[in-house]
Amino acid sequence: MSKRRFSSGWTALHIYGAAFLIFLYAPLALITVYSFNSNALNMAVWTGFTFDWYRTLFGMQPAGAAFDAAFTENPDRIFGVLRNSLIVALSASAISTVIGTATALATARYDFVGKRIYQALLFMPMIMPDIVLGIALLIFFVGVGFKLSLATIIIGHCTFLSSYVYIIVAARLAGMDNTLEVASADLGAGPVTTFRRVTLPLIMPGVIGGFLLAFIISLDDVVITYFIAGVDTQTLPLFILAMVRRGIRPQINALAVLLIMFSFVVASAGLYFRSRRN
Amino acid sequence: MAERSTISSQRRKALFVLLTPITLLLGAFFLIPLGIMVVYSFLEPGLYGGVVWSFYPYNYGRIFGWPLGGGEEFEPLYIQIILNSLYYAALTVIVTLVVCYPVAFWVSRMGPLAKNIVLFAITLPFFANLLVRIYAWLLLLRPTGAVNTALLSLGIIDQPLNMIFTEFAVIVGLVYVLTPFMFLPIYASVERLDWSLVQASQDLGATPFQTFRRVILPLTAPGIAGGCVIVFIPALGNFIVPSFLGGSKVQMTGNVIERQFLQARNWPFGSTLAMIVMASVLLLVLAYTLWMRRAANNERLAGAGHV
Amino acid sequence: MKWLKNIALTGAALMALAAGPAQAAGELHLYNWGDYINPEIIDKFSKEYDVKVSLDTYSTNEEMLAKIQAGATGYDLVWPSVHMADIMVQLGLVEESKINQSKGFENIDPGALRAKQDPKADFCLPYAWGPVGIFYNKTVAGQDFKSWKDLFDYAAKNPGRVTLLDDLRETLGIGLIMNGKSVNTRDPADIKLAEEFILKQKPNIAAFRYDVIPLIEGGDMAASHYYVGGVLYVNKRPKDLGFVIPEEGATMYQENVCMLKTAPNKDNAKLFMEFLLRPEIAAQNSTMLTNGVVNKAALELLPPELKNNPAINPPPEVRAKLQIFEDLGADLKVYDRAWSRIKAN
Repeated sequence: MSKRRFSSGWTALHIYGAAFLIFLYAPLALITVYSFNSNALNMAVWTGFTFDWYRTLFGMQPAGAAFDAAFTENPDRIFGVLRNSLIVALSASAISTVIGTATALATARYDFVGKRIYQALLFMPMIMPDIVLGIALLIFFVGVGFKLSLATIIIGHCTFLSSYVYIIVAARLAGMDNTLEVASADLGAGPVTTFRRVTLPLIMPGVIGGFLLAFIISLDDVVITYFIAGVDTQTLPLFILAMVRRGIRPQINALAVLLIMFSFVVASAGLYFRSRRN
Repeated sequence: MAERSTISSQRRKALFVLLTPITLLLGAFFLIPLGIMVVYSFLEPGLYGGVVWSFYPYNYGRIFGWPLGGGEEFEPLYIQIILNSLYYAALTVIVTLVVCYPVAFWVSRMGPLAKNIVLFAITLPFFANLLVRIYAWLLLLRPTGAVNTALLSLGIIDQPLNMIFTEFAVIVGLVYVLTPFMFLPIYASVERLDWSLVQASQDLGATPFQTFRRVILPLTAPGIAGGCVIVFIPALGNFIVPSFLGGSKVQMTGNVIERQFLQARNWPFGSTLAMIVMASVLLLVLAYTLWMRRAANNERLAGAGHV
Repeated sequence: MKWLKNIALTGAALMALAAGPAQAAGELHLYNWGDYINPEIIDKFSKEYDVKVSLDTYSTNEEMLAKIQAGATGYDLVWPSVHMADIMVQLGLVEESKINQSKGFENIDPGALRAKQDPKADFCLPYAWGPVGIFYNKTVAGQDFKSWKDLFDYAAKNPGRVTLLDDLRETLGIGLIMNGKSVNTRDPADIKLAEEFILKQKPNIAAFRYDVIPLIEGGDMAASHYYVGGVLYVNKRPKDLGFVIPEEGATMYQENVCMLKTAPNKDNAKLFMEFLLRPEIAAQNSTMLTNGVVNKAALELLPPELKNNPAINPPPEVRAKLQIFEDLGADLKVYDRAWSRIKAN
């Protein structure tokens, strides 16, 4: 009886999950369709099918006759800003994942003076409005003589990304008892071995979740990045924001589709190798 | 004895190693900038942005309606805007929670391969740029957009629905943008859920609702709490979604603060608003954790009573 | 093969995380509004002088000022609006470029020397100007617009099809113009009138936003308060689209090119300013921007559909009705309050 109840609930869950995925993918489907739209003026009006936006991204000549330089961007520039974005997002999310995880372990596994203060403090970079943190960091960096560069963007991102990682990992650690770790220590394993062999595998889903979230946030950050970016360190979101007055260029749709495809390939490879190893 | 002291010194060393990075990071790159902004909130606005270095208490007065002076006027307006933002942020949290919680169960009960694939499918859309995704929603919701076209051609409506530049569009946009913030922490705790406890509860004759309330909900509460907090906070400060999808007719504190820095050139007032927002969120978080701890204690006491 | 190079470059840069850009001798760092310079002329300059040019963008004057005021940022040239150029000259952020002694400066329209702190262009070079009017879709609206009154009458009959700019001075500016006041008034009573006017229109207004071109072009919105840059689209579809300077008068903007005091490449910056003085370059730039031209010789070189466009090259009686924003100092606060009230109600 309880099984039957469970299975009807399971069907409902399947439908719900599918609807959720449609919600997530509807905008992407639209972007993909419009990335083949030949209308250079306005991506919202369909005028015909073209590969031109992909072609121009890769520096090839567009095939369409009615091609206007006013509506396209230099591909070197697009790849330049994409490169900046990826460097920042990868470094900042990796660093924050290490720092945030370490902090979560400290607050979950140790009692120390000022623990409450740390816990409250960790919320604050997330609460501080972006523009306030951005301007404050700008004043600080320039005041102490840091040259604005990709490094300042990375540091700036770490200040708030660490908090996000911390919260996710701490949620994973909460209520998880430490008997396994104690057992490992009792069996003579050092703290590093215990961490590597026992704790890390246990919290891995949280760590990966934290890293992914940090990566996504860093890749999309506009406001803080704006203020602490130096000459020629524009990132993709800043680049796109600057073009919205005339509407987003069709090439950007093509780039978004390529980015998703790229993430898809990388992650599928990862999944494939993991399943082979198991 | 000696062994115990080495263990405790080892633990102390480990704690030191764990805490040093965050202390350095936040100490240098967060507390100092925060300090700058606290100081700014008590200074006079510079004519061209920045500040004049003289004490000026009226920034706070402008928000709360006292003390009047320095050319500032009483404006209940700002409190109204803050309350309005809290409302939007709370609504976003509720909708995201309702959207994500069942999905987390759906994913957690799958086989390993399917689980990995679906998890991946959920995070994938967020690798496309945020602005592009919001822009796509604008195109979906506009009068001649895909949603209206579909509804019109199916004959469900005979006039395009006015969805763009409404509160509805703002909530859709915020929920869409913040979904992974809710999903990831909830999933992390649901995935850890001990299903034997659920089984035991059912075997003991609990109704599904009782099982949910007494077993599943408490066990996943840390994930829910984490998710709510990290959705609530960015929702409160977001100004890109209200301006893109709300047509800037919906005004949140993020928009007002942004305008103080980028149009009105009143940095101290912008900092002041930021301080008020930060203080109120901290209070909310504090109240929430206290309430959670009390609830947990009560639960434990109640449990002990039953035994 | 360029794509291979791009991928290789991306990969290389990802590996060399810490490596900063090389400090080559010939560099120039531009800091301009988004979509406010024709990329082709940057390429031309780069080839002719063998200078590596970078371009970063901003979207408000204040955003740019905040960054420049913080200290040396590495930029050489910026494009402030006239009132912001005045502020920057006063704050000592701008280098005296002596651009007025360069060859070709005689072509600059004396009327474009609007900066109060820099009346002879010792510092900054006038770059471009333009009116802010109504950009509309005739097919969707089923009518032409001639005045702000037309716009608001249409909005009253068709709520949710008209947008205004999300800019406190521009939009309150319409309210001031409709009440016959100066857009630079400091009188709170005038600003109150403007606030009431805009508030009365607000229920009929779909949105306050900058990014309206795709919506007008696609027919989702009928008309919007927009910059003269919309003419670029009007000229592509003259039957459907239109841009007009309203009869009641309108605001206008003008940006000047200024060399920063902290500019690391002052010689190249000066070269670029002189490059912009060339009539054929100025004309090529304006053809893409569809802005008003400050260079009399360049005006002659414009294609006829721009040269004869009443929005880009308005007759003197229309020009007389255009007002440019001045800096209001601390009185800006009054506008900000009015704007907050408009948004909150």
